[in-house]
Amino acid sequence: MANHKSKPKKDQSTSHGRRTFLKAAAASVALPYFIPAAALGKDGNTAPSERIVMAGIGIGNMGRGDQGAFLGRKDVQYVAVCDVKKGAREGSMNRINGKYGNKDCKGYNDFREIMARDDIDALHCATPDHWHAIIVIDACRNGKDIYCQKPETKTLREGDLMLKAARRYGRVVSGGSQRVMGDYRGTVNPCWNGDKGIIKSINVNVGPFPRESNKKGQPIPDGFDWDMWLGPAPWSPYHPHLCSGSFNINGTSWRSFKDYSGGGMTDWGAHHFGGATFAIDVRELEPEEVIFHNENGKKFATCVYPNGKLLHHNHPGRGNLHVEGTAEKGPSKPVPKYSGTGGIYGDFIDCVKTRKRPFRDIEFAVHTTTVCHLFLIAYELERSLKWDTVKQQFVDDDEANRLVDVARREPWVI
Amino acid sequence: MTNEGIAKMTLAAGAAAVAASKTVAAVDAAKVDEAFKTLKTYDLGADRNSLKPIDEAIIATHGDAAGRKALEKGLVDALAGGISRAAQDYVCRRLRVIGTAQSINALAALLPAEETSHIARYALERLPDAKACDAMRAALPKVSDKLKPGFIGSLGIRRDEKSVSAISKYLGSSDLLIAKAAAHSLGLIGTSTAAKALTSFAKKAPDGMKGEAADACLLCAEQLLADGNKTAAIAIYKGFQGEGVPKHVKVAATKGMLTAAAKK
Repeated sequence: MANHKSKPKKDQSTSHGRRTFLKAAAASVALPYFIPAAALGKDGNTAPSERIVMAGIGIGNMGRGDQGAFLGRKDVQYVAVCDVKKGAREGSMNRINGKYGNKDCKGYNDFREIMARDDIDALHCATPDHWHAIIVIDACRNGKDIYCQKPETKTLREGDLMLKAARRYGRVVSGGSQRVMGDYRGTVNPCWNGDKGIIKSINVNVGPFPRESNKKGQPIPDGFDWDMWLGPAPWSPYHPHLCSGSFNINGTSWRSFKDYSGGGMTDWGAHHFGGATFAIDVRELEPEEVIFHNENGKKFATCVYPNGKLLHHNHPGRGNLHVEGTAEKGPSKPVPKYSGTGGIYGDFIDCVKTRKRPFRDIEFAVHTTTVCHLFLIAYELERSLKWDTVKQQFVDDDEANRLVDVARREPWVI
Repeated sequence: MTNEGIAKMTLAAGAAAVAASKTVAAVDAAKVDEAFKTLKTYDLGADRNSLKPIDEAIIATHGDAAGRKALEKGLVDALAGGISRAAQDYVCRRLRVIGTAQSINALAALLPAEETSHIARYALERLPDAKACDAMRAALPKVSDKLKPGFIGSLGIRRDEKSVSAISKYLGSSDLLIAKAAAHSLGLIGTSTAAKALTSFAKKAPDGMKGEAADACLLCAEQLLADGNKTAAIAIYKGFQGEGVPKHVKVAATKGMLTAAAKK
């Protein structure tokens, strides 16, 4: 919370400096002649010292949407944005400063400058996926809470590291799929109410797989830090399709390419598998096995959970989120809900204040993306695999274990 | 894989890249042969599908040591043959999956150059043979400062105990990216020797390194605890209980102490 922070060490011109000034002024002036009610939170607003001070990293398509949701909250003071595209960065700064009627919001090309600001309580991150783990882990080690867009991980190892960092430092880390709660009630509620009987399996149809790029380079646009955009990913010449934030997964957006994303398998998979694992209540578990099927050329796969429940991918003849259960009524239990108000964003903010775990806690988010990666690796190698959930390694498969992570381009290390 | 009903076949005699006598399971050998020829002239903008027969051969030769060796030799020979950066990129990505000791010299040759260093490390970091670590460790002092954090990071991820001494020397580097990578990697290696170097450094770390040093010490303590060295882990945690330690670091150290205390 804002009022727990120490005095900022730099950039006194920004809002954190202003906030410190307000606090100092309140302490030194015994009876001010006039303090607006809004500043005291008496008109339904939140007093400045009680607001969550936030910054956004990666403010293109999804980042802009996330930013709008946080910016619209009275209990959030938005003070900084980071984007490697100058136009996006400045547009975002103008939007925020316009809302507040000041010039306090600062823009950064390098997220590490935001991490160094000790006045910032919480972040939201909507960079391409290959940056998520580095930013989330850095946020945790700098004592900041973070809302990270889905898919939260790019590799299996990243998930383990992100979860450990969140728990180590006691941070609130929320994954970013609003659809898990919002879109799948028609599947989740009957499962939790027992209407689907004892659940045996669920099927998810999603894709496509990511591809490798071999695109010829084009001139880097002015104001775009391409090297920083690539970050830990292997070098590539600039091409607009590689870094477009379009939601297409057809080769014209970063979501299509293996170095930056898991393709549709993780991009939509984070939603669908998130909904599926919520519906059959295996969010707290990771699969122990992924079975690769090739029936007359039709390839599909199945994750097997320790409790015997099955999560199919592209099972022939089964629709998306098709649930298989027993005929008799199953046990009924209350469906978990968001905390606070304002959907997944309000849930995160409420948890930042209360220190509860959010609905889309990083553990559940990581378990979902783990499913995506297990499927991707099984399809890539075209074989069944056993996954040791404790060691976070494949069992007796040296080759699969090579795919648990990627070597990052210097200077990035996690 | 278009050859119907072929369980095993010999690669075409004309295959320049793949040893002719080696077998590849259930693969259209002529297409693999053609893909290796294509690799010689492959460059940015070329059709990526032209290399797909090699991808398919990699999958098909799982468990076929001879077939794999032939494919690996083909890839290694291609690297030695003066191929484009895009082709090198392709080869290193494949060697990440199937590379053995046979590939290490060819990959190591790519480590010093800024253009190819990372993609060579992309293969080497994930290649289990201990010689992969030897290659990265040997290259570390010779590569540019820009490249060093990557090497240090890879050796840390590999938990290469033999690198502790060399990496420790970089803790005091004036280049903060190198120093931070060194601290983090020592934390990942997480042995008693690494802990000694880290805790000694953490006490005198400059302002720009304090957070990284603390984080690395905590990582190191977790690793020590996982490896059964409870005493060493607790000693590290105790070092972060005093005045001036940021709240979240103190919380982490306290949680670590409790975890260690509960561990038998």
